[in-house]
Amino acid sequence: MAIPTATETAMMTELPAGGSGQPAAKGRILVLLDGSRVGYVVLDVAAAIAARTGAELQGVFVEEQNLLRSAGYGFAREVGSVSGVSRPLDVTALEQRMQRLAEQSRRALAGAAGHYGARYQLSIARGSVVEEVLALAEPEDLLVLGRARWSTIPAGWLGSTARALLHRSPGRLLLWSHQQPPSHGRVVVFLNEHEEANQRAIAAAAEAAAYSRQPVTLLLAGEAGVAPDALATLKRNLGVPEPDVRVVPLPSSDPATVARVLRGEKASQLVLSRDCSLFREPGAENLLAALHLPVTITP
Amino acid sequence: MAVPAALTEDQIYHRCPIEKLDFESTDTLDDLELPVGQERMLRALEFGASMQASGFNLFVLGPAGAGKHELVKRFLSQHAAELPVPADWCHVFNFKLPDKPRAIKVPSGEGRTLKSDMNDLVTELKTAIPATFESEEYQARIQELQEEVAKRQSEGLFEIQEEANRNNIAMLATHAGFTFAPMRNGEVIDPEEYKKFSDDEKELIETKVEELQKKLQQAIQQVPRLRKEVRQRIRELNEEMVQLTLGGPMGELREKWRHVPAVVEHLDAVREDVVEHAEVFQDGESGPPAGLLTRYRVNLLVDNADTRGAPVVYEDLPSHQHLTGQIEHRARQGNLYTDFTLIRPGSLHRANGGYLILDARRILMQPLAWESLKRILFSGEIRIESLERLYGLATTVSQQPEPIPLSVKVVLLGDRMLYYLLSHYDADFLDLFKVEADFEDDLDRDESSYSLYARMLATMARTAGIRPLAKSGVGRLIEHASRLASDQKKLTAHDRVLKDLMSEADHWAGQAGSERIGAEHIQQAIDEREYRASRIRERSLEQIQRGVVMIATAGEQVGQVNGLSVLQLGANRFGQPTRITATARPGKGQVADIEREAKLGGPIHSKAVMILSRFLANRYAPMGQLSLSASLAFEQSYGGVEGDSASVAETCVLLSAITGVPLKQSLAVTGSMNQHGEVQAVGGVNEKIEGFFNVCRQAGDVNGQGALLPASNVEHLMLNEAVRAAVRDGRFSIYPISHIDQAIELMTGLQAGEADSEGVFPEGSFNRLVADRLEAFAKAAEHKDDNGDTDGHGDGDDD
Repeated sequence: MAIPTATETAMMTELPAGGSGQPAAKGRILVLLDGSRVGYVVLDVAAAIAARTGAELQGVFVEEQNLLRSAGYGFAREVGSVSGVSRPLDVTALEQRMQRLAEQSRRALAGAAGHYGARYQLSIARGSVVEEVLALAEPEDLLVLGRARWSTIPAGWLGSTARALLHRSPGRLLLWSHQQPPSHGRVVVFLNEHEEANQRAIAAAAEAAAYSRQPVTLLLAGEAGVAPDALATLKRNLGVPEPDVRVVPLPSSDPATVARVLRGEKASQLVLSRDCSLFREPGAENLLAALHLPVTITP
Repeated sequence: MAVPAALTEDQIYHRCPIEKLDFESTDTLDDLELPVGQERMLRALEFGASMQASGFNLFVLGPAGAGKHELVKRFLSQHAAELPVPADWCHVFNFKLPDKPRAIKVPSGEGRTLKSDMNDLVTELKTAIPATFESEEYQARIQELQEEVAKRQSEGLFEIQEEANRNNIAMLATHAGFTFAPMRNGEVIDPEEYKKFSDDEKELIETKVEELQKKLQQAIQQVPRLRKEVRQRIRELNEEMVQLTLGGPMGELREKWRHVPAVVEHLDAVREDVVEHAEVFQDGESGPPAGLLTRYRVNLLVDNADTRGAPVVYEDLPSHQHLTGQIEHRARQGNLYTDFTLIRPGSLHRANGGYLILDARRILMQPLAWESLKRILFSGEIRIESLERLYGLATTVSQQPEPIPLSVKVVLLGDRMLYYLLSHYDADFLDLFKVEADFEDDLDRDESSYSLYARMLATMARTAGIRPLAKSGVGRLIEHASRLASDQKKLTAHDRVLKDLMSEADHWAGQAGSERIGAEHIQQAIDEREYRASRIRERSLEQIQRGVVMIATAGEQVGQVNGLSVLQLGANRFGQPTRITATARPGKGQVADIEREAKLGGPIHSKAVMILSRFLANRYAPMGQLSLSASLAFEQSYGGVEGDSASVAETCVLLSAITGVPLKQSLAVTGSMNQHGEVQAVGGVNEKIEGFFNVCRQAGDVNGQGALLPASNVEHLMLNEAVRAAVRDGRFSIYPISHIDQAIELMTGLQAGEADSEGVFPEGSFNRLVADRLEAFAKAAEHKDDNGDTDGHGDGDDD
């Protein structure tokens, strides 16, 4: 639930007309800024997408209410994530830190947008991160975020924010990987029995394939049951030459099998729908976190 | 004393009896494997080549162009063919000391196999190891490992988080770490509301928070240890995978090279190194770096796969680098790099186990090469080091290959002077070159040597690819070989001169359309050579003819004689007469050598004049004082005089000056003389006589002229056809003399006269005239002294 923002500031800078040379897209590119190193990498990716699609880049910086409250306790201490050293934590210092991070994020957003020639806007709010992002997000928007905000979170685990947004984001979500995917791999699309969801996944894959000029692999889960004519339509909608499309039936949707097939296909990106059967498998989220490749999750 | 008879044609030329040559052409003769008349040298070679002890290297000494190089190479090749082929040598990377590449010895011909095996292994490594790392098994195991470790890493954190959640405490991530706060329904309780909690509740919460903080601290401080453990486990997994992948090919190679323990040891080191660098092989796209794989290759330094017997190597440019090998560098972006694959062998490496032939003069001319060769021979191992490092001029880090044991026989070729100089001045020389193989300049000429010499000429003709020689050609060449040896009983062994002459004769035979080289072609070649070199000689003759240089070839003259001299210009020499004059008057027993006074006379000439002076005193004034002031001069000689071959002529002319008896100008004289008046042999008699003959011929018809030469020089005569013809016709006479009296009688036509028991010469003899004249000189000198004259006030010519 969104907590009312105390000091909400919105800045907006319009680039000169024709800056991107692209027709304005329907949705925006939402990117969560928090001053972390991962956040800046994701910002760069989001700015590049915004410039490519002509969409507006919407930065979101949330001053976490829970954190501010915890600093209000006299016994509050901060245990260093690397050193393990415990230091006192107070509200004033935390407020100052948040302001500094917000300023850094603003500069980074302006820098990235300027670099790629994208229009951008920054929203700074105070409250719960997930709620604030969901309050801003529209179904047409693309939400870009890393697997975890802080480097303190061990590799291979999804952060709580990413975990929550994965399920609740109204629109498309791009879970970025901090590792470089192979440059000559394939875009892999996970299809299921849900036809509309498949269409959305195919649309996202078509964009990715067109941009990266990579061939596409369609993964058919055993029970997916995609009709041949529907499959033909999906393949057509991909807009990729026939020889560059491969259909691979999956013997099972369990995460280990999927991981093996993805390696076999040298996947450079994975596109799948939120309704996909994979999400019903235990350990699916961990699989997504462990895969070192960008994952696009469509509604 | 009896006057000797003039020499006959047969005495002045040793003709080759071609009727005794039992072939028509040299193409029917077999090749001669070893040269004639070089037995001493061949025995020395045989000994030196077979002697195993250290220091028994060879020095083959002989004049340039004697064919030393070809002979030694041929001999050693035959000798070496019977010896075993030496081992191959390789340099490989030293994994323990990377700057010191190891040297591995493998049986001959197997170096190539090892190189190829290691190249195959590298290819295998390039594909098999990345494939292993890409395999599902490896990927699954590494993922399991990573997951397990990540789980263990995060486990602590999540346990703490879980514990916190159970106690309604939120664990929140901050920018730099974590913090704890009490929560309700997933939200952190407002601090204001918290104040309303009872003290017990607060204490409970705060105690828990403190406990959680401590646990978190401990968990975080565990992370570095966990990370280290991960690295270790990943390494172990990599090692396991590499060992499994390499197990097959390595096992095969180890089995294959079981007979060379050094190779097996190297293979083990390679396996260790691959395991150590397993991570580098994981990059499937670009593969392992070439620099890493190069370390596993083999630099085949010495490849004896195609060698038959022991190697015989000739190094034509024996510099330090060419002898000992060198380490090359490769320029890359302005920097120089090197590694063990850029180590290049020297000729010592290639000759190891065999023979290395070097030109002594060339190695001495190469900076520091001689010192390097000696150092290597002393140490018995080849150490490749650049000169700049060796002498401390560069201190940059470079490769220091492991020294290779050396077993080589070095054969130096050089002239005699070099050998003697090295023996004298280089203390190490005789320690290292104990075997002296001295080349004969001449071969004996006798009935048995003709056929061998003919086979030698046949071999030379075949080797040079020229026409075969006809019997007459061989005969003429044998005669010329004697002339070249300046001896009727010798034949020259000078390979180059004979070959050149044959090649020229071949040219003239070709011009004449002849299939074989005959005597006329040999003669033409000799004549053409002489003509080409005749410019100076002809200028000299012209000067004599025009009277610029005064030489008389007829009539008689007091105090004047024709001496004979030889001029050496380049490879050619010719003789010419020189007028020697003398003056005599009373004095204090001095014979002034004007050449010496003018510093134009050499020491041998001065010695000869002193001998002459003592001869005069001893013979003509044995009991009294020799009251003589005489002088001797080589007229119109401006270039200096050396040698004692004019002492007979000088004696004659001095005696003529003393007595006033004229000497025959139609005769020229050569010969050395001792203090007893005996005539001794001199050099260059052929050139001298031919030189005088040419002057006589140019002055008009040769008729009645001749030359006097030491009797011991007769067997050195090999005079040309023109002189022989004049001798045959009696127009030119050559007299062999053994005593000065014979020269006196021939030159003056008077009896020389022998002294009786009291030392008195017979009346009317030439020697009596000399004695009487000297006595008169003595009296005149006494009279002069009685009148109070001193030498200091005289004309000073006695000095």
